[in-house]
Amino acid sequence: MTQWTVLYRKEMTEMVRNYKILWVPIVFILLGVMQPVSSYYMPEILDTFGGLPEGTILEMPTPTGEDVLMQVLSNYGMLGVLILVLSAMGVVSAERQSGVAGMVMIKPVPYSSYILSKWAGLLTITLITLFIGYAASWYYTSLLIETVDFERIFQSVLIYSIWLVFVVTLTLFFSTIMKGNGGVAFVTIFVVFGLSAVTSILGENMKWSPAAMTEHTGQVLLSGEPGSGFLLGFITTIAIIIVVLIASIQIFKQKELLE
Amino acid sequence: MELLKACDLAKSFGNTHAVKGINFHIEEGRCVSLLGPNGAGKTTTLKMLSGLLEPTSGSIDFKGEKAKDLREFIGYLPQYPAFYNWMSGKEFLVFAGQLAKLNRKEAEIRSEELLERVGLTNAKKRKIAGYSGGMRQRLGLAQALIHRPKLLMLDEPVSALDPLGRREVLDMMREIKEETTILFSTHVLHDAEEISDDILIINAGEIAVSGSLGSVMEKYRQPILHIEFESQAADWLKSITSYSVVSEVDIQGNKVSIVLNDMVNGKQTILQDIVDRKLPILKFETSQTTLEDLFMKVVKA
Repeated sequence: MTQWTVLYRKEMTEMVRNYKILWVPIVFILLGVMQPVSSYYMPEILDTFGGLPEGTILEMPTPTGEDVLMQVLSNYGMLGVLILVLSAMGVVSAERQSGVAGMVMIKPVPYSSYILSKWAGLLTITLITLFIGYAASWYYTSLLIETVDFERIFQSVLIYSIWLVFVVTLTLFFSTIMKGNGGVAFVTIFVVFGLSAVTSILGENMKWSPAAMTEHTGQVLLSGEPGSGFLLGFITTIAIIIVVLIASIQIFKQKELLE
Repeated sequence: MELLKACDLAKSFGNTHAVKGINFHIEEGRCVSLLGPNGAGKTTTLKMLSGLLEPTSGSIDFKGEKAKDLREFIGYLPQYPAFYNWMSGKEFLVFAGQLAKLNRKEAEIRSEELLERVGLTNAKKRKIAGYSGGMRQRLGLAQALIHRPKLLMLDEPVSALDPLGRREVLDMMREIKEETTILFSTHVLHDAEEISDDILIINAGEIAVSGSLGSVMEKYRQPILHIEFESQAADWLKSITSYSVVSEVDIQGNKVSIVLNDMVNGKQTILQDIVDRKLPILKFETSQTTLEDLFMKVVKA
């Protein structure tokens, strides 16, 4: 068995022991289910809170299933990203701080195996979380509103997962170069939300941006086809992920690991 | 046989030169202690030898060949060993063994063996989070030995332990020394004197003294007088510094240590003086300088 496998297994065991494998997906399921449920019960909710005067005529168009799922993804884009980054921020920095990273690297372990096992661990939890959460959301949407074509769901979640993979890769990178967990989370969130904002403001000029993936996700949901420039965005995103990973490994090599 | 050789090994962090081009070698099968005050560069040297830290310049030869990745041949116990606290002691050892390229089965067997040896068999299933300082140190020793390293490096293995824990670790080191070469750093001179074959005294990033313990002691040994007075005798002590037999006088309250060049003549002269002047002494003792005296001399120089 290679050292990479040993390290990856350790990552997974750790996530099971500290229940990360449980609570991160639960948060995503809650985020995913709340949207169709609240859309469906909106009239009752408004009624209960009694905010409307007697005689108000309220015509609420029931949102389409696609609209609801778009909302879910936008929730994932804010709260979901926040949760993922917070759960992943210590992935390398905490181990460097405690010194246990040094205890691992004192054994003949390639630096790349260490970083890539961390990456694979993050990928596993991110994808499990996204797929489970989104599936739950799809189930409730079809139960309460209408069934959305499975193929669209599948394609959209694949495209969306690229964006989340980019986010956790970035978290891993900052966790490697910085020491304080809080700082890692802050910088990652700042970069991710900054990139999203710039991408949506500049639109046409930012087709290469990883954040454009979220827009393509929406278009796949609504029309079944990603928007123009998808391939460009896809290729640059993968390229950026690879470059960031290589940079993480190289920087990790230079870090002093035992105090 | 020469196991490891360092040539002009140097490391600087920015403008601070932690290690300034040191040369030494370690013979196979010896127990070598690396002595020096805090900040002398002991840990930096060990880290460079282990491959955790890239030297600024210089080279390390292992068994006569230029070293690439030595980690396979080295077991290392850092000054503050850290573990995954959610693992049990045995899990961590198996994990460490597999990282050191043992297969799962070998790692399991070797872990049991080492747990027995470091006296952690009863605690092997407990979480490391609940281990005491001494237990963590022993687990650290076990993980360093898991892949039967050619060279075991221990960074201050006993400094943080209570007398009992210190005794345990020293006894274990004495056993291990029969099987493998050990290089350990310490500032507890007594320990070095007790178990090492060779010593390296390092001060301010440079090697001050090196050699086998016996030869170093022989070479630097000087006769010394310890005298204790009923009251202070500063005037007389000042006057004796001019005697040719006296090389050094160190006054600590009513006690004084006088390093002599020649025991027989020196003792005569000093005793005669004491009698002539009717100095009130409580104790008069002759002995030899210890490693501690040598260490102090080297470090203060």
